[in-house]
Amino acid sequence: MSTARDLLGVAWAGLTARRIRTLLIMLGPIVGVAAMVAAVGLTESAKGDLKQRLAALGTNLIIAQAGGTFGSQNPTFPADAVRRVAAVPTVTSASATTNLSSVIATPIEGGSDYYQSFPVPVRAADPALPSVLEVPVIDGRWLNATDEQLHVPAAVLGAGLAKQYGYLDGEVRTIRLNDTDFGVVGVLGSVALDPDLDNAVFITQWSAKHVFDTDGKPNQLYVRSQPNATQATADAIPTAINLGGPDQVSTKVPTDVLQAASQADKTLQQTALFAGLLALAVGGLGIANVMSISVIQRSSEIGIRRAVGHSRSKIGFQFLLESLFVGVLGGLLGALVGIGIVYLVSSVANWVVVISYHRIPVWMTLALAVSVAAGLYPSIKAARLEPLETLRLG
Amino acid sequence: MNTDPEAGPTWNARSGDALLELEQVSRVYGDEVPVYALRDVSLQILPGDFVSIVGPSGSGKSTMLGLLGLLDLPTSGTVRVAGTDVTTLDDATRSRLRGESIGFVFQQFHLIPHLDALGNVETALLYRDVKPRERRDRAYRALADLGLAERAHHRPVQLSGGEQQRVALARAIVTQPLMVLADEPTGALDTANAEHVLEVFQGLQAPDRAVVLVTHDTHVADTATRKVSMRDGQIVSDERAVTQT
Repeated sequence: MSTARDLLGVAWAGLTARRIRTLLIMLGPIVGVAAMVAAVGLTESAKGDLKQRLAALGTNLIIAQAGGTFGSQNPTFPADAVRRVAAVPTVTSASATTNLSSVIATPIEGGSDYYQSFPVPVRAADPALPSVLEVPVIDGRWLNATDEQLHVPAAVLGAGLAKQYGYLDGEVRTIRLNDTDFGVVGVLGSVALDPDLDNAVFITQWSAKHVFDTDGKPNQLYVRSQPNATQATADAIPTAINLGGPDQVSTKVPTDVLQAASQADKTLQQTALFAGLLALAVGGLGIANVMSISVIQRSSEIGIRRAVGHSRSKIGFQFLLESLFVGVLGGLLGALVGIGIVYLVSSVANWVVVISYHRIPVWMTLALAVSVAAGLYPSIKAARLEPLETLRLG
Repeated sequence: MNTDPEAGPTWNARSGDALLELEQVSRVYGDEVPVYALRDVSLQILPGDFVSIVGPSGSGKSTMLGLLGLLDLPTSGTVRVAGTDVTTLDDATRSRLRGESIGFVFQQFHLIPHLDALGNVETALLYRDVKPRERRDRAYRALADLGLAERAHHRPVQLSGGEQQRVALARAIVTQPLMVLADEPTGALDTANAEHVLEVFQGLQAPDRAVVLVTHDTHVADTATRKVSMRDGQIVSDERAVTQT
């Protein structure tokens, strides 16, 4: 214990006695680690905004669409599709909507011609939809169980439609669906994962069935799965819904495209990583070189230490520890420099900083290993030095 | 006077035993053409001895110093420190024995340039289970004893030759060695400093300690109470002064 402490002290004193040289041989690990941290950091940060959006959206939303057999119009799911999907163990929540293609919404009286050419989608939705989408209701409230039970003619606007419609917060307005006026009770926030919803009008399932006389069967399901089971859940949903029946069900994970786009440029990253490795290797040669010269320059010190009773192995460890310090400090400084570069460039380029902190220890260990390996030969040389030859006696 | 061959490997000198003993020691350099630096030399250094080893250059003084200081091993023969045969010890044990029993003083001082005076003296106490605080205290006391208390934090380049040699002396004695081994300790000093250093050496004499000076300076040799003369790798005379005034 005390030996280790003494060794550390001696090695530290040896390094700090020649600060410039120590700094110079430290440049190898510094540049190597900094290059690797910066390479990965910059390529990841360039896609950082996408990654951040992904993290906010969650990558576990699945949209299931009724496909129908060939030729069938308005394909639908069974009425109890939500219950069937919810039975899949990895599903955490689900909500159904129904596209009411026969209903024409006329938000503004005078624009009926326009809205016939460019219809506003009308959807029947259940009370769970905002929570499954993880989208807030930005004005008023969402459709609730009371609306269903008391047959309230309530409607909620998508965020895009509300803007187009000029809806003001808390305003009492109605919207005409076919020949019936519905009261606008709220506005749903923008749905990044399914922008179609932004222009839609949402009404209760009771209204869909009884006001517009549809069968009320859903044709689109929004499902959240457990975080690591998204794809498996998406694959399981068609069978869960149609139980092997003839109706087609297609599922998609809307974040897949985003996720692909958020992948860093691997080729660039690997090239830079390789450059970092190269810097580390060249730095290692530099350490070996300078340490070898240092052993010759310090042969008198080695002789003295041997004379006062330090053994060969202590001398060897002393020099090995010096290169170990170079590796540890160089790796640490390199990591800091690399992180600094990522922050600097990201702030200039307006990127969201992404740093793979879990990978930094790996690179630092690599720098340490290279430094120690580089110090091995000089250390052995120092240990083998004959004190009599270095002390110039007589 | 001979060391009991049955004696165990104890490093503590017992009264009457040799502190350090060379027995039929030869040191040969070169393989194809052997050159005898020392040939069949036997020598006993006793507790209380103040020995000077003299001789012209090439007489084997330096080789003798290396062997006495456990820095070198003989080609044949035995070297014993307080009864322990050092030729059979591994490097770590021999190094420890050297550190604990021998203090070196060199002509060129040989201080470590990047350490201050205190650090240089402390070097001799490293790796031996001495707490940093105690190590520091002992080193400081050794310096203070030699009048260098105020120079403790000066580096070798900031010290005069005489001061540097006294730091080296402090380093040699801080471990309280059985034997102080000096190689031309006044060779690089002016007369005044040389006198001062010689006085210190005389003061180091103690009943349980030996002081050995290797020199070709007759004045230095004369301060010793025992004079070993060498020529061509052999001891030609070993005289004790009858009285020292």
